[in-house]
Amino acid sequence: MSEKVEIGPFHTELEESVYFKLEVDKNRIVENVEIINGFIHRGMESLVTKKNFMQNLILTERVCSLCSNNHPMTYAMAVEQIAGIKIPLRAEALRVIADEVKRIASDMFNLSMLTHIAHTHQLMKDTMNTREHMQDLKEVIWGNRMDMSSNLLTGTKYDLDERKIKIILDTLDVVEPKIRDLQERYENDEQLKSKTVGVGVLPLKDALEIGVTGPVARGSGINNDVRVKAPYGLYAYRPEIQPNVSLSLREEGDVHARAMARFGDILEAVRIIRDVVTDMPEGDTYVDKRPHIPAGEAVVRTEAPRGELIYYLKTDGSQKPVRMRWKVPTFTNWEALKVMILGDKVDNVTMILNSIDPCISCTDR
Amino acid sequence: MSEVIPKLFRINTGSCNGCDVEFMPTVLVEKFGVSTLGVEMVEDIKDANLIAITGPLTARSESFLKSAVSKIRHPYVVVGVGTCAITCGIFRDSYAINGPTDKIVDVNVNVAGCPPRPQSIAEGIAKGVKVLNQVMNGEATPKTIDAIFKDFSAPESFRGRMDLNPDMCTACRTCETVCPSTAIKITEIAAGHVHNIWHNSCCYCGNCAYFCPTGAIFSTNSFDTVKLQSEKYEDVNSEIIKSSTCSSCGDTYMPPSRGLLGKGYVHDDVKKLDTKICSKCRKEANFKRMYA
Ligand code: SF4
Ligand code: SF4
Ligand code: SF4
Repeated sequence: MSEKVEIGPFHTELEESVYFKLEVDKNRIVENVEIINGFIHRGMESLVTKKNFMQNLILTERVCSLCSNNHPMTYAMAVEQIAGIKIPLRAEALRVIADEVKRIASDMFNLSMLTHIAHTHQLMKDTMNTREHMQDLKEVIWGNRMDMSSNLLTGTKYDLDERKIKIILDTLDVVEPKIRDLQERYENDEQLKSKTVGVGVLPLKDALEIGVTGPVARGSGINNDVRVKAPYGLYAYRPEIQPNVSLSLREEGDVHARAMARFGDILEAVRIIRDVVTDMPEGDTYVDKRPHIPAGEAVVRTEAPRGELIYYLKTDGSQKPVRMRWKVPTFTNWEALKVMILGDKVDNVTMILNSIDPCISCTDR
Repeated sequence: MSEVIPKLFRINTGSCNGCDVEFMPTVLVEKFGVSTLGVEMVEDIKDANLIAITGPLTARSESFLKSAVSKIRHPYVVVGVGTCAITCGIFRDSYAINGPTDKIVDVNVNVAGCPPRPQSIAEGIAKGVKVLNQVMNGEATPKTIDAIFKDFSAPESFRGRMDLNPDMCTACRTCETVCPSTAIKITEIAAGHVHNIWHNSCCYCGNCAYFCPTGAIFSTNSFDTVKLQSEKYEDVNSEIIKSSTCSSCGDTYMPPSRGLLGKGYVHDDVKKLDTKICSKCRKEANFKRMYA
């Protein structure tokens, strides 16, 4: 006899609203899974065509506040491609710094949620507290803990001086040893391992078939990091700053492997920020505050904290986009959930969901 | 008078993540002080008496919110977290939005911010607890409640409540054009222009300040954004940008502000410039001076 179990849409362990309808057997193993979403659908595709290009710099941030630098940055890159504008190298550097700072904070949020759900209380606390340093840094440099408002069409709004560079480097000096310590504890903590090793497995074959991206791919042994495979911005100008993905790759494909893959990403981000801020290109931070945007079409992709993000933009020479479309990382990673959840315990469902670091607000948008 | 144990439950009605992601450190990180309020996080909404709601209330969430709310036992208190929860914020004009939440639930406390800092969310929860105590003890809620976490501060760079220096503003409407959440409204009146900033619609993005040509609009680092529902429609910054009468033709015109003149005449003392003449008369005078 199978029993029906419902989880959500409002649930303490679900950061975002989603609704699971599950069928479980007498051993509480999931036999059938139906995932209902749409709770975070805000009509973004329509909304962006009602707002002008300047307003969309901010609206795209709110597609998702966890990758809220990637969205406006990728949008700006699409606009710049259409307008045929090459942005100053200094702006490319500033974009990478903002992006990697967000990556650290985003990945660490996911790790704190993992340990929160796994009830490894001390680990959760230490992860959250370490992440707070990055949050404080964002507030001091950019003015907000989540939405940095750092991007401008043709460049960036912000610049860094010696004082701010020192604040960034000092923060990294504090944070890095803490992250290394956490990495070791996550690797070896018996309680955490007992809840995450072998749970929610995504075998390499399925991972390839579904086309997962980001840390979910890296946790199953696939390197398809856009920063390396199709470098853009400063990653293209200075290949030496590209992340060393081998530090993130894992073979196991379970919840634990995906968490450890994120540690690799975080530590590489720390290294990238250090490399970039200590060797800042001189020059302007933007070309034109309010550029003319001609008619055109562009497709741009970048590596968000959750994986490959694609923007499609179509313009007609007016002040507003004609069309903007997204392919977000969670869209592909979501499909993998079914493979991960089926045959696993029902009590693990929220943890498995968290392990793909879902961004439902990106996906439902 | 009995002390009440506040039992907190969070509902996400379609947030962009920002508010929910900031809610977690607010309740989990000690420095934000929520643990000092004796708040308990509950797993089932049936046990809750303090509800935090985020998001602009998407169409899909509406019926689920209604049914969730119907399960809560009275009395309870609702804290709206984030600008979206108060006015739908940046998503207001979308077909998919049915909010704001106070259409469906009686909200008691609002925390504006996009997202608000954990310090503000904590303050919102604290005020929620205060209102809950009053409700449970049958007392009336006063019109305002003093700050509860008094020792929180924000760095200089924090993008907080926007402010306007009317002397510098020239009513060019750039800020109104670039504002993504239609928080700025400039209306023409006989005496000039009224410049309004609705703090409860603002998403604190700083776009207006960045693009303003005169530096008239700027962000302060104030995070005093936690207000009772009764104050919801009063939280507006309203200034009049006065027009002038032209000393030559007598027409009313919008004079260039000190800020704008300062941009154009970088080496001169702008106070000395005679600005009492409208642009039409100025053009004529200049034309005559050069060609007559
Ligand atoms: S208030 Fe801002 S941060 Fe919060 S959910 Fe709305 S858009 Fe996101
Ligand atoms: S001068 Fe600045 S504040 Fe005044 S209307 Fe123009 S942009 Fe807005
Ligand atoms: S900061 Fe300025 S531009 Fe941004 S939402 Fe507020 S009023 Fe509008």
